[in-house]
Amino acid sequence: MSHTLQFSVPLFLVYLALTGNVEPANLVVGALVAVGISLLRPKMDLPLIHWRRLPQFLWAGIRYLFIVAGDVIRGGLSTARIVLDPNLPINPGIIAIPSGTQSELGTALSAHSISLSPGEMVVAIDDEGVMYTHCLNVDDSERMVADAQNLRKSLLSRMFE
Amino acid sequence: MKSLLDITIWIVLIAHLFMALVAAWRVWRGENSLSRLAGLDLASTLTIAVFVIISIIRANIIYIDVAIAAAALSYISTIALAKYISDHRVF
Amino acid sequence: METVLQLLAFLLLVLGTLFSLIGVIGFIRLPDVYTRLHATGKVSVFGLVFLLLAADILTPLATWKALLLIFFVLAASPAVAHAISSSAYRTGVPLVGKRDDLKGKLEVGQEKD
Repeated sequence: MSHTLQFSVPLFLVYLALTGNVEPANLVVGALVAVGISLLRPKMDLPLIHWRRLPQFLWAGIRYLFIVAGDVIRGGLSTARIVLDPNLPINPGIIAIPSGTQSELGTALSAHSISLSPGEMVVAIDDEGVMYTHCLNVDDSERMVADAQNLRKSLLSRMFE
Repeated sequence: MKSLLDITIWIVLIAHLFMALVAAWRVWRGENSLSRLAGLDLASTLTIAVFVIISIIRANIIYIDVAIAAAALSYISTIALAKYISDHRVF
Repeated sequence: METVLQLLAFLLLVLGTLFSLIGVIGFIRLPDVYTRLHATGKVSVFGLVFLLLAADILTPLATWKALLLIFFVLAASPAVAHAISSSAYRTGVPLVGKRDDLKGKLEVGQEKD
């Protein structure tokens, strides 16, 4: 699968969702716009996904989505409990989490899913891919973070390798 | 069921407007500029929520388009402002 | 079927508003910028997404647009939180709490305004 195709199919779907009709003329215009934008894209170092690996990619992606959703819901409930507690039992701080992957895309996706769950937020990433994460409750996060990052890392490497 | 939903949605609309006012109070009385910027981000998120609620009340999809445009503008402008405050340039 | 969908939309509206309310309360109560951003993230991740799911059910024809806006919000709100917090750390906003693994690793300037 070429990079242009890999770019223009999601763009085409976004175009269809925005315009919301499936007349042939609109489909043609959408395809032209999507291919045009993906030809104009800047140079990026993105992994190429082969046709035969597409089912594996989708399966790992769906599992990754469910894991992220579980993290988000757990984080939201624990943050709600902290906020509604009259004593405000917070123990904030910044901890270092090594992302464990060399690729920029893997680090960026890990940082995104960490920041998405309330209670943890990536403040900075250094060149070796260490994510400096601000947590509402340092002890809890530090206990869970290694396993969660290992799970994310294995799924991400299954998606992009 | 229908009337319960109607009453609920007006209550939800008023609650979101009130919360946007509270966030705007934090913009007015923040201890530093980044705290004010976080309040501005919260206020614009709640404004997007108000557009979504209006689209439910009027049963009209056009307000979701308005919400998409408002979301794009507010997220990009918040990121640009944060970068401007720390680096004194946008790009 | 209709009633079940309306009941689901009602629950989503109430839950979304409750989470937004908790987020705003946290935004007022928490002590510094970094901790406040956690509360802001809760408003956009739970409040806005639940409202959009309710709009998905109640507004005719809104299915794909609301899903697109959900995807967009989920993709953009961590970026906003990261931008504000990294900007705060680099302008030297003080941090509540003892542990700071990032100390001395970024050049920290003074805020000029």
